[in-house]
Amino acid sequence: MNPRTAVVVGGNRTPFVKAGGKYAVASAQDLLTAALDGLVARFGLAGQKVDEVVAGAVLKHTRDFNLTREAVLGSALSPLSPACDLQQACGTGLEAVVYASNKIRLGQADVAIAGGVDSASDAPIVVTEPLRKALLRLNSARTVGAKLSALSKIRPADLMPVPPAVVEPRTGLSMGESQALTTAKWGVSREEQDELAFQSHQNLAKAWDEGFFDDLVTPYLKVAKDGILRPETTVEALAKLRTVFGKDNPTMTAGNSTALTDGAALVLLAEEEHARAKGWPVLAKVVDAQVAASDYVTGSEDLLLAPARAIPELLSRNGLTLQDFDFYEFHEAFASTVLATLKSLEEQGLGAVDRSKVNVKGSSLAAGHPFAATGGRIVASLAKMLAAKGPGSRGLISICAAGGQGVVAILEA
Amino acid sequence: MGRDVVELRQMPDVNKLLLKALTGAVTKKGRKAELPNRSFLMLGHQQDVAGLAAYCRVTGFSVRDEVPATWLHVQTFPMQAALMAEDSFPFSLAGLVHVTNTMTLHRPVKVGEKLRMAVRAENLQPHAKGATFDMVGEIHSGDELVWSGSSNYLASGAKVPGSPGEAVRLKAPEVSPSQQWRLPGDLGRQYAKVSGDSNPIHLYPLTAKLFGFPRPIIHGMWTHARAIAALGGGLPDAYSVKVQFAKPILLPGKVGFAAAESDGAWTFAVVNREGKPHLVGELSPVAG
Repeated sequence: MNPRTAVVVGGNRTPFVKAGGKYAVASAQDLLTAALDGLVARFGLAGQKVDEVVAGAVLKHTRDFNLTREAVLGSALSPLSPACDLQQACGTGLEAVVYASNKIRLGQADVAIAGGVDSASDAPIVVTEPLRKALLRLNSARTVGAKLSALSKIRPADLMPVPPAVVEPRTGLSMGESQALTTAKWGVSREEQDELAFQSHQNLAKAWDEGFFDDLVTPYLKVAKDGILRPETTVEALAKLRTVFGKDNPTMTAGNSTALTDGAALVLLAEEEHARAKGWPVLAKVVDAQVAASDYVTGSEDLLLAPARAIPELLSRNGLTLQDFDFYEFHEAFASTVLATLKSLEEQGLGAVDRSKVNVKGSSLAAGHPFAATGGRIVASLAKMLAAKGPGSRGLISICAAGGQGVVAILEA
Repeated sequence: MGRDVVELRQMPDVNKLLLKALTGAVTKKGRKAELPNRSFLMLGHQQDVAGLAAYCRVTGFSVRDEVPATWLHVQTFPMQAALMAEDSFPFSLAGLVHVTNTMTLHRPVKVGEKLRMAVRAENLQPHAKGATFDMVGEIHSGDELVWSGSSNYLASGAKVPGSPGEAVRLKAPEVSPSQQWRLPGDLGRQYAKVSGDSNPIHLYPLTAKLFGFPRPIIHGMWTHARAIAALGGGLPDAYSVKVQFAKPILLPGKVGFAAAESDGAWTFAVVNREGKPHLVGELSPVAG
């Protein structure tokens, strides 16, 4: 049997914007459809069947139970293209790429689209538990008496909606509060965090200026560029921001933490020979991937450092060292997440990473982080960087996720 | 024949116009049934993203950069209403029935494009029940014609000389409905908000009764838009679409949607429980 290789052909995303901003009027499905429209247009897929489209969203309405399939049906793809939703918190986009690549490698698909979307503006508002139970009882009540009885159970306080919160159910801590524990534990300084945030903005701004995103981003709703990006920011300006997470000697600010973001990103993947036969670009192979989880609930490990468990496993299976990469993409959930992950890898004896190779086209601090869309953004950007660098060049992706999980992957040109 | 072109500096307020237009007789007294030789022009019209999103939400479109063709019609609607509310306009809006509508999207139009829009009334014709005329709209982006549309109205009871021509009859597709739409009682108010067409026949039972309808009826252009949205990803980039409004839909209501495709062209119909059409349409791609 010929070995099959899954390759990244290209990608498309919407510009990312701050939640409650210019995409506030768009739903997650609108955003995902927009990203799909752009990808279809870029690769001439109109009317064509794709073997599978896989994407997801972290903040999801019940009405979006078939989010990805609905986006496919709204797009110019052939309606014969099947789709599925996948969700692994902030790891969703990369996990979707892994899912699709594995199917391609196994011969279950030749062409697939993978990615994700999130709209923090379109987050579902939930009713209180007593109201929900009363409404369910009301729905199944057959007699007037039973209906009245169901309604009588509702108290005025039950009518208040429950806003969405990004809180870990088992610790009750928001992600920022969890990361503040990690930041303190690993002794990550404010200066290091602000410097990393500054570099992220510098790198992303430069990438936009040099046209790097011209074939990776399609404008949406009068937005042509990432809205969170602050090219003019300085280390001094970042140092002035007040801290928002942490208690003793807090160091985390809105500048070195990602903002709630709206956006969608997708990647076109194909079997290598199939891609070549179509005349598509072959940017990079999806070599291998690994997920891992950390024991964060009782505080013995860190919520967002699971990638530091996944990376050694991935490296050892592929006979590589941490230094064998031309580019590193460490998702910047918080600046201190990246820095603590690097410290952890070093402490495990994997050695240091050449910081000039990390997030060279900017990452989530500057671009923003629409949870499930981040994986697609990173995969498409890294694949393009590797293609430019040349055959044999290699990149490592590391994405942390809620629930103490991490997804990491290797791409190679 | 030279037309008198009036440039509008700002979008007319449809609500004020409607009040004025609805309070006249079908044929304004002492006026010959003759269309004004005048067109309204608007330059540099900016489309509103929030308005587009609200429109898409009510009509079933995804919110994308490329706007629905029917949204472009809605952009011209206040200008149409203004033209019809002019003293020189021979008919009162209250007596007008939207009979057919045609439009062509010559190429995909993005929400960020600034539009030059023009509307005029033309083609006054005798009809068995009165007279018909077309409200014609054209939208340019730069120098390029991107959208053109024509709304054919019947002014019941109006008289123009001549003998009526053949009425248009579009054929509904010979397939069973594949979709069922539930139209809530407030749909007319929802669509009025996003289209600017707050004709009272669409709003409340009471206001509809004033004009002889037992319940409010949904705007024909909502049904048109919803039908195009129902084709989903099957819509061509550029297309011509013609619809015939056969029978109003009372609110709240439940209707079926049937569509058949052949060589990239669609025929479709919105039908009642008995399969009788409320709206029949045909849509075909045009070279972009």
